[in-house]
Amino acid sequence: MKKLRMPLLVLTSTTLMLSACAGFQTNNSSEEETNEEGKTVVDFWSFWGSELRRPVIDKIVADFNASQDEIEVKHTYSPWGDIWTKELAAIAAGNPPDVVINDINATAIRGKENQAMNLSEFMDDSFSEKFYPELWNATLYEGDSYGIPFNTDTRVLFYNTDAFEEAGLDPEDPPSTWAELEEYAAKLDVKNGDDYDRLGFYPLWGVGYDVWLLNANGENYFGEDNNVDNVNINTETNAEVLNWLKSWRDRIGEDVVNSYQAQIDSQQGNPFFSGDLAMLVQQPTFYTQISEYAEDLNFGVAPLPEYEPGNGHTSWGGGFVAEIPEGSSDPEAAWAFIEYLTGAEAQEYWAVQNFDNVANIEAAEAAAENDELSEEGQMVYQMAVESMENTLLTPAPVEAPGFYNYINPHVDEFFLGSMTAEEALAQAQADVEDLIQKNQ
Amino acid sequence: MGKKRLTIRRKESIYGYIFIMPFIVGFFAFTAGPLLFSLAGSFTDYNITSRMDFVGVENYQTLIVDDGLFRTSLWNTIYYVAFSVPLTTLGAIFISALLNQDVPGIRVFRTLYYLPAVLSGVGVYLLWMQLLEPGTGMVNLLLGWVGIDGPNWLYDPDWTKPSLILMKLWSVGGSMLLYLASMQGVSKSLYEAAEIDGASRWRQFVHITIPMITPVIFFDVVTSLIGGFQIFQEAYIMSGNGEGGPANSLLFYNLYMWNQAFENFDMGYAMAMSWILFVIVFVLTLINLKLAPRWVHYEGEEK
Repeated sequence: MKKLRMPLLVLTSTTLMLSACAGFQTNNSSEEETNEEGKTVVDFWSFWGSELRRPVIDKIVADFNASQDEIEVKHTYSPWGDIWTKELAAIAAGNPPDVVINDINATAIRGKENQAMNLSEFMDDSFSEKFYPELWNATLYEGDSYGIPFNTDTRVLFYNTDAFEEAGLDPEDPPSTWAELEEYAAKLDVKNGDDYDRLGFYPLWGVGYDVWLLNANGENYFGEDNNVDNVNINTETNAEVLNWLKSWRDRIGEDVVNSYQAQIDSQQGNPFFSGDLAMLVQQPTFYTQISEYAEDLNFGVAPLPEYEPGNGHTSWGGGFVAEIPEGSSDPEAAWAFIEYLTGAEAQEYWAVQNFDNVANIEAAEAAAENDELSEEGQMVYQMAVESMENTLLTPAPVEAPGFYNYINPHVDEFFLGSMTAEEALAQAQADVEDLIQKNQ
Repeated sequence: MGKKRLTIRRKESIYGYIFIMPFIVGFFAFTAGPLLFSLAGSFTDYNITSRMDFVGVENYQTLIVDDGLFRTSLWNTIYYVAFSVPLTTLGAIFISALLNQDVPGIRVFRTLYYLPAVLSGVGVYLLWMQLLEPGTGMVNLLLGWVGIDGPNWLYDPDWTKPSLILMKLWSVGGSMLLYLASMQGVSKSLYEAAEIDGASRWRQFVHITIPMITPVIFFDVVTSLIGGFQIFQEAYIMSGNGEGGPANSLLFYNLYMWNQAFENFDMGYAMAMSWILFVIVFVLTLINLKLAPRWVHYEGEEK
């Protein structure tokens, strides 16, 4: 017995010791990390690893490193699906990175849960004026900012000017209301039996039903200040909008919608490129696809049409912030990098190289006139900048995390025909109110 | 005491422990801690970073009494398991029986049927999303040739789960290999004896092949049952936006749990969910193990 027990004991204890070594090899987070040159190291995580984005962000990091000799930023790419769960684990373990790019819509919740640092102490009052107010407000929890807006997006209407001319429409005068949108779409349709040689428009490609609700209401479900005291889901307007959206599907037909959808999903086969679809709501970055797959396409771009004249061309956007995770080893240095990252110079570079909407107003306006963009590029970017004025975000209130998970299924049922719009909205309203009550 | 020799039985059991040592060590070093932590965490409002207050059985109570999505997700998962486990098991046995025949080119067929098991992950899901596309996908195109107007597959809540089950059936190659190996191991003399007695091919299959491969069937049923309850990726990728749509028809248990943990940061709640699932799977596995002696036949077993 003894003979066997000893080796076993040794084996077990060695294994345990080895695993323990690996387990506790963490840095003490209160200590500053420095490299061999004595510079403070800022660990920066982003999900920008694509061929297009990686060189741009790496160049910004290199520029920052060259601009001063105190701080060395180290950029680590982490894939989209992993980055935030990884960050969370690192925060919980007490050894997080120093700057992370994160979703703007959950910034307030991350502030509330102590995942991201309160950044108010680093900035003066005028700092917030550099950014679009809608973006800035989305980063606030109880009046303090927990992430600085980096990039954003909006939704605009792309239209084929050749098709407009063919249909006898003025390419300089795109539809500006929903009624005009319907009228134009009907004129642009070219029917061929049950099929279409050209389809004018379908509202649910490129955006979801919620963007149209936002456009009609001019505010999200929780009102302007994102207050959960009133939940405006089950309203007459919303029911009307849903029925309006469905009427398109009924008119065009399920099969046509599905087969166009499949082509849109395949990217380069997008019917807008081939002229088979005359109008499409998309993000301004859609322009990069047009210039890649359909260079010769003549197109224009317009704000999202408004629900009724004077109602406002409300559009929808999202975006990303740069935040400092709670427990960062050197928040001061991290802040210095964030200031650079969200400053006009880096932002304009990002905007022009990636053709992406940026959060810094000065940079966005400069990008629209930047000579590196083609004439068409400048036109689209200019529209993107204009559309930002009317763009709303829909961050989840801290009392209603993931609220859309409680609305979407019912609206799905409506579009599938198993519920009326009123029933679906009433149930969604009840479910979201339950959710809020649970979290209060 | 020192000179006392070990009996063979003792020696064998010690060797047995040595063989399972890597698992035991791994379990205690890496798994046991988190396991106990999640049990403790399920009684708190743990949010990963800043909060961990004891809330008693509130999480469990809310889940079972109030949470409609919890029930939806559990129902979806049970539906999926109830159909996919028997169907994939039958499918794998059927295919391996076919591939166990002596026909020319059988190696090619075996390779072909095994190929889907080599492919895995997100690539396969994206491929199937294209195949199942209602308007332009291959599946509906083929159905159209025989005059069937195919369903909307991943867009119709009644068809989303059958879509996933169909996809699973396509990749039964992995378990087919196990069945095939075990069928090849069935002694030829049994078949010869049966043939002399005048048994048909079908009776040979039912009375010789099936009983002889029951250990593999048992293994396959237990593992695919457990695996079935863990379905997550398929729904995360194939429901488009990762929310389990349309109409929550792909909101599986683990997807909902993941959303609670990493979207809403309600880790305590998610931990409670994981323990409920653990209990369900544990009970089902126990029932399986209890029923096993009635139908699983081990050759050379001491009765």
